[in-house]
Amino acid sequence: MATDTDKKKQPGIAILIVEILILAFLVYYTIMAMLAPVIKRDALETEFGFIQDDKKENNRDFTTDSAYLSLLKQKSYLESRVKMANTDSIYLTISLPDSTVNLEISGVSVHTAPIKHYELSRIIKKGNEYVISSFLSRPFTIQKDYSSIPKEPLMIKMAPKDTSEYQPDIIPDTADFEPVNYIMEMDNGIRLFIYQDENKLNPGDHFHRITFDFRYRLAAFIETLRSVLVFKVPDYHPYIKIRLPRSDAKIIYRAMPKNGQVALFR
Amino acid sequence: MEFDKPNNELYKDQTNEGMSGGAIDKHPADQEIPKHSWFAKVFQNILISLIGVITLFVLIVFFTWLIPAIQEIPTGERTRITNSVEMKNDPEYKKQIAQITKDIQRLTGKYNSYTTGQSYLVINTTDNLFYLYKNKKLIREGHCSSGSYKMLKTEEGRSWIFKTPKGKFWIQGKITNPTWRRPDWAFVEEGLPIPSQDDPSRYEYGVLGDYAMALGDGYLIHGTLYKRFLGMPVTHGCVRLNDEDLEAIFHSLTIGSSVYIY
Repeated sequence: MATDTDKKKQPGIAILIVEILILAFLVYYTIMAMLAPVIKRDALETEFGFIQDDKKENNRDFTTDSAYLSLLKQKSYLESRVKMANTDSIYLTISLPDSTVNLEISGVSVHTAPIKHYELSRIIKKGNEYVISSFLSRPFTIQKDYSSIPKEPLMIKMAPKDTSEYQPDIIPDTADFEPVNYIMEMDNGIRLFIYQDENKLNPGDHFHRITFDFRYRLAAFIETLRSVLVFKVPDYHPYIKIRLPRSDAKIIYRAMPKNGQVALFR
Repeated sequence: MEFDKPNNELYKDQTNEGMSGGAIDKHPADQEIPKHSWFAKVFQNILISLIGVITLFVLIVFFTWLIPAIQEIPTGERTRITNSVEMKNDPEYKKQIAQITKDIQRLTGKYNSYTTGQSYLVINTTDNLFYLYKNKKLIREGHCSSGSYKMLKTEEGRSWIFKTPKGKFWIQGKITNPTWRRPDWAFVEEGLPIPSQDDPSRYEYGVLGDYAMALGDGYLIHGTLYKRFLGMPVTHGCVRLNDEDLEAIFHSLTIGSSVYIY
């Protein structure tokens, strides 16, 4: 029979066991999460890495030359743009050296927006130059997006039954106060975050951005958790985070088709 | 053995013999809780709740901010840049550089050829602005009106969405003094019965301005009587312009000219 001392000790031991289990899970989760970018990097290197071709006069050593790599980047970007221009669809080009984002249709630039600030995932920023250039030589296609504004601001109006019910339309409210933040998930795993950026943001806008970002982070955590719970290394998604003036961010989001394409020049 | 005694027994022995000299003592649990002890319990509960909230907050920060930050810690080796002079003098290297440069020139030439030297029109439907280009230079810009994004629904289940299509279009027809042939929605919207296809009530004169340019599928670039609405999304999908802009655009664009709407 358990004594009173034992009874008092039992909850203490239970708490300790729970604490150890939580700690073990956190360590396991962290390890799995840290493995994700490594696996992504390896996958990219396998798919886009340098292949020595004896028939061609290419040489792995060339990929250590900055002039060669710079030309390769330009070529990759142009290849992407030409591929996209051959469609009649609206597409987006991001040129980080110029700090601009361009909306283009069939090779014609129709709208240019200045990038106020950007942030790249380390794998894109500091990964193997040759691999990343090859990876970016294909345009990426939007698969899903999350936004603070509707793609099409539809207003539903029921038709009047007769002329007595008819009321002419009132002048639309063109005041533009809604915060513009959105995230585009690409087919190649890249996540493009576009946030509004103005010199003077309202405190409400800051709060909105934080909550918008948090909701997405929470969704990403749940996705990671699902993988981790079945002992699978979660998918790693390299990111591109860009801040644009609110009006430009809105124009771009509204203009981009649901499965629009994007090219990046870094 | 003394060790086998339960704690309360030990307590009872000690108090009976040593402290109160045989008087009946209350068990600690039966004693009245002093006021300071009640405050201590409340404080303890607040502390436990606070620790719980902080733990939850730390866990949220850990999973949503710290883990993504940890994932960005460099893992692989960076590209080793040597810029070796020896390699630069290698004929193979020179050949490769020449080939890539040639490819870039070819791709740049191809890309630049997409932008025509002829006149073309660009329409921004979000801000309701237009830009007219000639010889790759902006020659005119101003306000226009585009689709209202209104969805008109009838009780019978018919519906129309009044939005301007986006993408690349071209001028398929140019009309002077155009007549508007009112589609079904124009009657439905006003609560009027829909007339037959060639009913005279379908034809309205002078409402589209002096000129119209067809983009296909019934979409037109035309003038308007409601100039105060220019710069606003109020149309049924067509693009409306003021008289001067319409005239300039009409005379600049030819059949086949490109119109880019975004």
